[in-house]
Amino acid sequence: MARRVNLLGAAVFVLALVLWELLVRTSVLDFTYLPAPTAVGEGLGELLANGELLGALGHTLFAALSGWALAGLVGVAAGSVLGLVRPVWTYSMASLEALRALPIVAFVPVAVLLFGFSVQTEIMVAFYAALWPIMLNTISGMRTEPRMLESGAVLRLSKAAVLWKIRLPGATAMIVVGLRLGLSVSLVLTLVAEMVGNPAGLGFLLVEKGQALQPGQMFAAVFVIGVTGIVLNGLVMGAARLAFRGQMASSGEAA
Amino acid sequence: MTPTISCDDLAVTLPGASGPVHILRGVTLAVEKAEFVSILGTSGSGKTTLLRVLGGLLPASGGTVRCDDTAISGPPEGVVTVFQDYAHSLLPWRTVRRNVALGIEARLPKSERDERVDEALTMVGLLDRAEEYPWRLSGGMQQRVQIARALATRPRVLLMDEPFGALDAMTKASLQDQLQQVQELTGTTIVFVTHDVEEAVYLSDRLVVLNGSPADIGLSLEIPLPRPRHQITTKERPDYLELRHRVYEALGHTVGEPARG
Amino acid sequence: MKREKERGGTPVRGLLPLILLLGLWELTGDPASPYFPPPSTWVDGLRPLVDGDKLLPAIGQTALTFLLGLSIATVVGAVVGTLVGASRPIDRALSPSLEFLRALPAASLVPVAALVLGYTTQMKLVVVVLPATWPILLTCRTARRTLSPVLLDTPRTLGLSRWHRTTKILTPALTPAVLLGVRVAAPLALIITLLVEIVTRVDGLGAVLGAAQASFLSAQVYGLLTIAGVLGFLVNWVVTRAETAVSRRMRGTT
Repeated sequence: MARRVNLLGAAVFVLALVLWELLVRTSVLDFTYLPAPTAVGEGLGELLANGELLGALGHTLFAALSGWALAGLVGVAAGSVLGLVRPVWTYSMASLEALRALPIVAFVPVAVLLFGFSVQTEIMVAFYAALWPIMLNTISGMRTEPRMLESGAVLRLSKAAVLWKIRLPGATAMIVVGLRLGLSVSLVLTLVAEMVGNPAGLGFLLVEKGQALQPGQMFAAVFVIGVTGIVLNGLVMGAARLAFRGQMASSGEAA
Repeated sequence: MTPTISCDDLAVTLPGASGPVHILRGVTLAVEKAEFVSILGTSGSGKTTLLRVLGGLLPASGGTVRCDDTAISGPPEGVVTVFQDYAHSLLPWRTVRRNVALGIEARLPKSERDERVDEALTMVGLLDRAEEYPWRLSGGMQQRVQIARALATRPRVLLMDEPFGALDAMTKASLQDQLQQVQELTGTTIVFVTHDVEEAVYLSDRLVVLNGSPADIGLSLEIPLPRPRHQITTKERPDYLELRHRVYEALGHTVGEPARG
Repeated sequence: MKREKERGGTPVRGLLPLILLLGLWELTGDPASPYFPPPSTWVDGLRPLVDGDKLLPAIGQTALTFLLGLSIATVVGAVVGTLVGASRPIDRALSPSLEFLRALPAASLVPVAALVLGYTTQMKLVVVVLPATWPILLTCRTARRTLSPVLLDTPRTLGLSRWHRTTKILTPALTPAVLLGVRVAAPLALIITLLVEIVTRVDGLGAVLGAAQASFLSAQVYGLLTIAGVLGFLVNWVVTRAETAVSRRMRGTT
């Protein structure tokens, strides 16, 4: 299916911005600290000019991506073991489900307690947040279609070959979904850790600008965070399509 | 002469929701080299179970199962099963070419592997679709890919579990003829499970009917129709119609009464 | 078959490692540890809150924000999702704006909402409602889009009024989708509620948790974490039960 440019949608988006601008200018929307889109644009310019934005973005990305990458390694490894070795699954899944019920944000204060106001806190929080979706998706991805395994058996594939050629590729699409979910939650949780823990990065920038009563710059930071999320997600998808062309295409993920 | 694949006094019992279920009892079957044998039966008669035992996917509960002179435990060398649900048997992330190569890629050097894959794809007429993904092909083509994947291993025995059961009548007829040609070319022994009487009579050298519960072989019938067979002329022959009549009777149908099942 | 097996759930034996871990922690942990106080000290840690009559009101505040937020999100998500799913043009017109709003992480909205709306309960609600709306909106949109036209044409030929078509056909037909969305949205709403409370310190369990951490009351932090876990478990349990029960009934009658 060819993807056409959604002109109507873009027009509505722009129109909404114009409306917002007008409502603020005419004081119909009367909040003391609600900036108009133009003020947000100015704020973005200021943040870019004084270099604050790029520094903060770099810090947040470093923390979120480190935690996420760590979670990717641990999550895929643990998820594979849990998905492939039945006794391990039987004797630990309920514990994992009990732990998963703990709302992840509630862990942020614990991490601050353990690791102090440091970048380690951020990385640990990002790691913990991303671990769950990655591990759980890997587990369900390892539930291979039994007929595929039988096909491997009748063609007399070795155990290693079945794992490498059938099980793992079969799980790839699910693992990528886990990685994408994991990346977005680790970004969110890194921001939270920066707001309440380590005073650095985009999360702290938001809080700081709020306290300094600079709504324009603050909204600009929110905008940048939103765009960062979209870009990161796109990068993961693009990389996955490049590396695992067949797997992604067969799961309907091809563009 | 030892049969290529055989079972003697075979019994299979599987665990069911309410106690063990006896599926097969006292089944004795010997398939000679290059023979085409069909196993017929109504649904639930245990024909797929029998094929799975011959293919080494299911252990026998009693009796012996042999390939050449070796007892079967696990899928034997040179015996490949082709499943009915092609969609779940092929690896959707591999192209047709790489799917066909799955069984041989670890054993053969690249040049020989490519040669074999090309040969197998030519036999099923899919060489021009080699770089496509299987899920982009029609059901009939996907089943041909699965057959090619089996052929690429140069099997001595092909075990086919209702391979054309999910296909429409036109596709089915053309695949039947293709299978005949392949067998003529390769001399492969074929054991073919089906519930389609016409298909069994048309393709086989011999057919056996499973009935009863637990099932055993009720009828074993030689099909002496001359080869090559033809969809129109063979099916008009009086001896074809006579054989077809006998098989329907063995399955419990009687003239003037609707089918029982 | 597969679904049935999954419903069967995970074996309780699997709790063994967690119990062993907690037991080991209890036996070997140093009660004075500022990092890993053993489980028995957690109850003592919570005592000042209970005695000061702070714990239950905090849980109540959190529950209130969560329930209100989820209810508003359900109504908004169901209505907008149904509208967007009913018409391709509306879908195309709104989807880029909706997609962009969806890309804004809830956490980044907290300081903004606090600045614009102040440190109030309304602010908490706004922050909870926004992200919790998406799952419900999306499932409703898909369900409405894939709804069989016959289902809507039949009552029209029977002469049912627009109101009756909505209440008797559309609402029951879309209810499973709404519940599926709620099942995803509910844990999310709880997380966001705690998140707002931790970040802004406005009322609730999250605020107490944040304060405990700031005062280095580690036993209390672990105690509150456990309570948050119980809440999370309850929420999950209730919505999963509700969704299963309703979708089973729907499947039974259609």
